[in-house]
Amino acid sequence: MLRLKYLPLCLSIGAVTIFSCTKDDNNGEVDITALNTEILQHTASNVCAASYVDLSAKAGQLLTAVNTLNTTTTDGNLNTCRDLWKSIRQTWEKSEAWLFGPVDVDKIDPRIDTWPVDFNDLNTVLASSDELNEEYIASLNEDHDALRGFHPIEYLLWGQDGEKTASELTGREKEYLLALAQNLKTLADEVKTSWSGGYANLLATAGASGNTEYPSRKVAFEIIVDAMAGICDEVANGKMKDPFDAQDPNLEESPFAQNSITDFTNNITGIMEIYQGKFAEDGKGLEDLVRAYNLSLDNEIKTKHSTAIAALKAITVPFGEAILTKQSQVQTAMDKINDLATTLEEKLKPFVQQYGN
Amino acid sequence: MRIRATYKFCFFLIISITAVLIACNKFDTGYSNPDDEWRSGGKQTVFDQSSKAFGHPFPTLSETLERVHEVGDIQFEATFVSAPAQVNPGLGPIFNNVGCASCHIGDGRGKVPGAGETSVLMLFRISREGNDQHDGPNPVPGYGDQLQNRSNIGVQKEGDVEISYHDETFYFEDGTPYNLRFPTYKITNTYTSFPADVMLSPRVAAPVFGLGLLEAVSDADVLSRADENDSDGDGISGKPNYVWNFTTKSTTLGRFGWKANQPNLLQQVAAAYNQDIGITNAVFPNESTIGQPQYDGLSDDPELTDSILHSVEFYVKTLAVPGRRNVNDPVVQQGRQLFAGAGCDKCHIPSMRTAVNVAFPDVSNQLIHPYTDMLLHDMGDSLADHRPDYLASGNEWRTAPLWGIGLTQKVNGHNNFLHDGRARSLMEAIMWHGGEALHARNKVKAMTSDERNALIKFLESL
Repeated sequence: MLRLKYLPLCLSIGAVTIFSCTKDDNNGEVDITALNTEILQHTASNVCAASYVDLSAKAGQLLTAVNTLNTTTTDGNLNTCRDLWKSIRQTWEKSEAWLFGPVDVDKIDPRIDTWPVDFNDLNTVLASSDELNEEYIASLNEDHDALRGFHPIEYLLWGQDGEKTASELTGREKEYLLALAQNLKTLADEVKTSWSGGYANLLATAGASGNTEYPSRKVAFEIIVDAMAGICDEVANGKMKDPFDAQDPNLEESPFAQNSITDFTNNITGIMEIYQGKFAEDGKGLEDLVRAYNLSLDNEIKTKHSTAIAALKAITVPFGEAILTKQSQVQTAMDKINDLATTLEEKLKPFVQQYGN
Repeated sequence: MRIRATYKFCFFLIISITAVLIACNKFDTGYSNPDDEWRSGGKQTVFDQSSKAFGHPFPTLSETLERVHEVGDIQFEATFVSAPAQVNPGLGPIFNNVGCASCHIGDGRGKVPGAGETSVLMLFRISREGNDQHDGPNPVPGYGDQLQNRSNIGVQKEGDVEISYHDETFYFEDGTPYNLRFPTYKITNTYTSFPADVMLSPRVAAPVFGLGLLEAVSDADVLSRADENDSDGDGISGKPNYVWNFTTKSTTLGRFGWKANQPNLLQQVAAAYNQDIGITNAVFPNESTIGQPQYDGLSDDPELTDSILHSVEFYVKTLAVPGRRNVNDPVVQQGRQLFAGAGCDKCHIPSMRTAVNVAFPDVSNQLIHPYTDMLLHDMGDSLADHRPDYLASGNEWRTAPLWGIGLTQKVNGHNNFLHDGRARSLMEAIMWHGGEALHARNKVKAMTSDERNALIKFLESL
């Protein structure tokens, strides 16, 4: 009788234990294969391919504005060019969160975004009698990447100290600027065409027979997560840490436009865009897979992401100054970005290895 | 009392015997943990088979040393620009490429240029008959011992190299055909007269991981495998190269480079900075253009600080080795047997142990599987560059390490092997082997198609 007295308690403890340990295996009606296929399709079209369509459109706008600046050299037109540079830069920096595929393999990245600028060579070019046109830029082989892409354009638009006026633009500089803008448009078109002309389809059909680029959906997801974590590492431990450790503002990328913190923020923003599957328009993203199986991981990624963005926005002075005068702000931002990277590498990556089939 | 004393004595005797037995038991060099095979780099092995596989730091590095590795990593990736500049100055005036990682993409192997492309991920050593003051190659007047085919804007490069190939068909013994492509190199667009008797040696950028472990193998261990006069009569010699060490100002054992012409990683890195990128440094403080019209005349040498030089040396020293894949696959196991059966492992030595090094425990006393002996071997006339490099004759090359070779396609997007990238697959690379390796090659030539497949599967698992 004594034993029976405890029976209901034992039974209920047992029941609670059993139920709480039972995993909801079928998880509602999730068809994981269909979902994963859809996620990869949307990631390829709505995020990656869409970003390069945008890049190409903005390169076109910048080219038009540079043409206008060359014929009507006013401070107003110079400012228009600067705004458009920042605008295309935003697209590019976001897309660095998915720096895989043609942009990497076809070496678009070094041709478009090599840093630092080779001032001596640039001065020699400007002082030479060579005709400065798009053919000239295209003829520079990869050893002269430091003479083309975003940063030489930035340098010509802003000047070394960021205070250039339209009247200071020389004829040769305008000639070269136009050639650079044309080259940027060509490169943006190249990567756009690579994606729309087949690469997007490779990613979208990961795991299909004969797809050697993406032999399985899991591989595709791993590459996406690696790219997301990779940009965290690049920002926190490279772009920010280098100048910070050396206490040298000269090491800052995008120094002329004082655009560095914006660049970093856009890099990190790109991570959430590919995670959620929305660049211009919303679609299925990795988020949908994570939410189907692990809401707390989804929550953790979003919280750490917004904390990292907030930490970057909390830096109150331009980056070149912040590394000298606001070190705790810079350190906090680097720490928060590394926190996000840890979650992506140690939780999201194993997650897609388990569920990304 | 007597009995107790006897017991005591027996007990003492047993303890003593056990102690003696343990003390006299020599370290069993044959002992291996069943998992050893997977860990090509001993404890400095990482398991990543992605395109980043060659770029990981030693997993055991302390946080402080890992930071040094990262500093070196950033410098390895850096793009240099012409001097004077505030960031990364010193490129050129003439050079082969703008930074380390521009050739060693993903810390891996350079691709050879296709038709119509100029050589970027490979370079050409040049010399004439005779030796320099250190018994090294005799430089070409006006060019030095390396052809720089790039230059800063407004500076004349030394020249270009045109590469052309022709294919020839050969047959395995079972009648299956295979092709080999034969390269021809032609120096063009030289800035000044180029002597006709120049000897030319093409070299592709080699993978840079695991080098710290190879450096940690003792000289004595390397030399124990040397058999210069083939006294054991197995047809395999194994000859050490002895080269000039610019730090110690003496001749020491060569270990690195396609002809083992660099004694250590510091000199390897410093020479690459100087010759390939045009960056002067503590080991090589003079511009490669001294005495040539391209000389910049700037008194900014050395252009590289010692701390950067040493951090980059440390970076390549502490790049981990990728772990193997599919070791237990029966086909891979069969391929391993075939590899040994053909005698490939006489030069591509599978296992060795790094020396004990209390000053740097991360590389100390590790059982590693590099598949090299770091010695020179005659590889036959077809592969010869006919350009001696210290003691290495025109026919001799250093046994290339095979660890990580199966990940080349993944990391570098190509399967170009050998010193000039002429082989387009692992099998082509094998079939190029001649000289001392002819016997082994012929054994492969006689294999069935299944056996050849197993052999390649084994190599791909490395």
